[in-house]
Amino acid sequence: MSQQVISYADLSIINNALRSISKDMSGVHSELGSLNFKQDQMESELVKLADSFSDFVEADLKHKALQLAETRQGNLKQDLQIKFGYYAEVRRMATGILQGVDTGVISDDTLRFTTEEVMIKAPGYWLAPALVSLTSWIRNDKSKTEKALNEALKRDDYKTTLFFMMVMRRLTRNEACLKWLERYFMHQNPHNLDREFIIILEAVTTGVFPPASRNLMMVNVKNWLDQLTQGDTFINEQKKQWVNFFVAIGPLSEGKYPLLEKYTTNWNLLEKSLKEAKTHDVINTHFKNIISSSADFSKGIKVQLDEILSLLVTNFDDEELPLQEQVRFNQLIIQMDGDKNAAQAIMDAERHIFNEQIDFLQLLTNASFNPELSGATRVTQALAVSIGQTWILEAYDTFTAQCRNNVPKLVELSIDNFKVPTKDGSDENELLKEQEIFYDQVLETELSKLSFPYGLLIIGTLICFLGFWLFTINPIVGALGLGMGIVIIWNSLNTHKKAKNKIIENITERKQKGKEVLRGCIAETVDYRIEHLFEDNKAEEVRNLISSITPEDFSSVSKETVRNII
Amino acid sequence: MRKILTQSDNLDVSISLKTPTSGFVSDRDVLKKRSKKYLDLITNLDAKTLSDTKGMNELIKSIQEEFGTAELANLPLGIISKCFLGYPYEVHTLDLSGSQIIKHYKETETMEAQFEKARSVAKHNAYAMVEIYDDKIILIREDGTASKL
Repeated sequence: MSQQVISYADLSIINNALRSISKDMSGVHSELGSLNFKQDQMESELVKLADSFSDFVEADLKHKALQLAETRQGNLKQDLQIKFGYYAEVRRMATGILQGVDTGVISDDTLRFTTEEVMIKAPGYWLAPALVSLTSWIRNDKSKTEKALNEALKRDDYKTTLFFMMVMRRLTRNEACLKWLERYFMHQNPHNLDREFIIILEAVTTGVFPPASRNLMMVNVKNWLDQLTQGDTFINEQKKQWVNFFVAIGPLSEGKYPLLEKYTTNWNLLEKSLKEAKTHDVINTHFKNIISSSADFSKGIKVQLDEILSLLVTNFDDEELPLQEQVRFNQLIIQMDGDKNAAQAIMDAERHIFNEQIDFLQLLTNASFNPELSGATRVTQALAVSIGQTWILEAYDTFTAQCRNNVPKLVELSIDNFKVPTKDGSDENELLKEQEIFYDQVLETELSKLSFPYGLLIIGTLICFLGFWLFTINPIVGALGLGMGIVIIWNSLNTHKKAKNKIIENITERKQKGKEVLRGCIAETVDYRIEHLFEDNKAEEVRNLISSITPEDFSSVSKETVRNII
Repeated sequence: MRKILTQSDNLDVSISLKTPTSGFVSDRDVLKKRSKKYLDLITNLDAKTLSDTKGMNELIKSIQEEFGTAELANLPLGIISKCFLGYPYEVHTLDLSGSQIIKHYKETETMEAQFEKARSVAKHNAYAMVEIYDDKIILIREDGTASKL
């Protein structure tokens, strides 16, 4: 009863209301859509604004940093001028004196007066007494020379030593130069050598310094080597670098074995091994080049030595370094348009270059690998190689042993799913036989997959029998049936035969091709092993070459140079 | 300002260098040239019959002599060299770790893993023999010079 009441109730009002609500809702939806759109727009606008704002802030920061750097640089320079201004004066004077001494146009009195004045102006600076000592020496004033020299050595022993060593070399005072060189060597710590040491070493090797200095250097070098080679740490580090160097200079592959590349599963190993074997030849050339070079580099070295001297004289001193560094940093900020980070990066890189200190073995290794990069010439390279000969040979032996150990024992052939390994290709007949057997098996399995059409034959036969039976009723129908049966039988047999022939044909073709490829691969394997052996044998040659390098060897080069100079 | 390095400074350096190397044999020792006697002894193993105890004792004695005062742990585990017995034998090993016996391996036979990894270098004509250690492989040439793999 109640159901009826509801069914007759008038729901149209509710319906209408619902309809209007849904209409309103869709209105709200579309409103919302447009609102969303607007909000997205706003958001993107806001992002743009934020971006441009941050850009602005960044630019502003940079601008401010730039302004600050400019102001600071000015202030710092002023500071530097106030605190160390006289240093610059002394440096200028030193250069002047050196040039004046060279040309001999300055009177003794002037030299004396000016240098002594400098002494008062620049207390604590090593160059001032050094200059006094130098000028007194020129004037033959022994007691003053010694006094001033003592003071200079007290202030900065290392720089004074380097300074006098260079000056004596310039003035070709061999004996004095040798003494200073001896002192210079005493300053050097083989664990921490300065950058300029390579140039000194180079100068001694090429004969720019007096001939006796070579002997002095070799004695020092020998001591250092004894010190550094007591433990394995330093030597092993160098050996590792040499092995890596040998690995790295390997030649590129030539694509000489296209079939092996395509049909072997371990081609990567084979190729790598051949490349390693070919490296011996490259190493041979490398060392031959080093030994045979005998150009006269002494002129370039002289220029470099003078450069050290002028750097020593003009470069900032340790005390002013913090201030100078700040000036440089602000300069870089200005250069980088206020970008502090970029300036800091450049600053760090610069500092790394100039503060670099290396141990003696590393210096030798650097000079042997890449003389140009480490600031040495080929003469020093030859010296470095001859000094490091023992561990270079050990590293080379290790490299050779690694190469030989990495030679793949087998060439893993994979031709058309026929997988077979061969050692050196000498088993060609066996392999060809195996391949034949493989294709026979393939043929067998392929043929076994092809089923004989028994079903169709039975149907055909049955139709034939039906034809015979029908023959008694109606000869024409019978003949038709018989004919149909025969056609079915013949047809199915024919199709089967065709499929079989096709498989045989296909496999025969594969076999033919496979055989050709296998023969090609075997031929290439034989060639590969021959080439590999040939290249590997060169290792013994290189070994003999490296063993034959001795420090005396390269001295023939430098002796010549010495003769040229004297 | 720098100071001149005096002799005593050098001394400090050398002392600090020595400390970490103690406890294991330096490469200098392992890579020293082997004596001819030792080489001859090992390479002639094929020809000799070591069935009698005298030969065996002699062998062990000369190996110990060769490695001097080295501790037992620093002696090689074994030695591999080319086998001149001819085909199908390829290499033979002298096991020093336990029973000190010689074993000949055919081309197709595999050796223990530690020895197997040095097989291809042992076969190489440039090396007379290969010493297998716990942590390294040392190749010995005909003239007695050693190199580390």
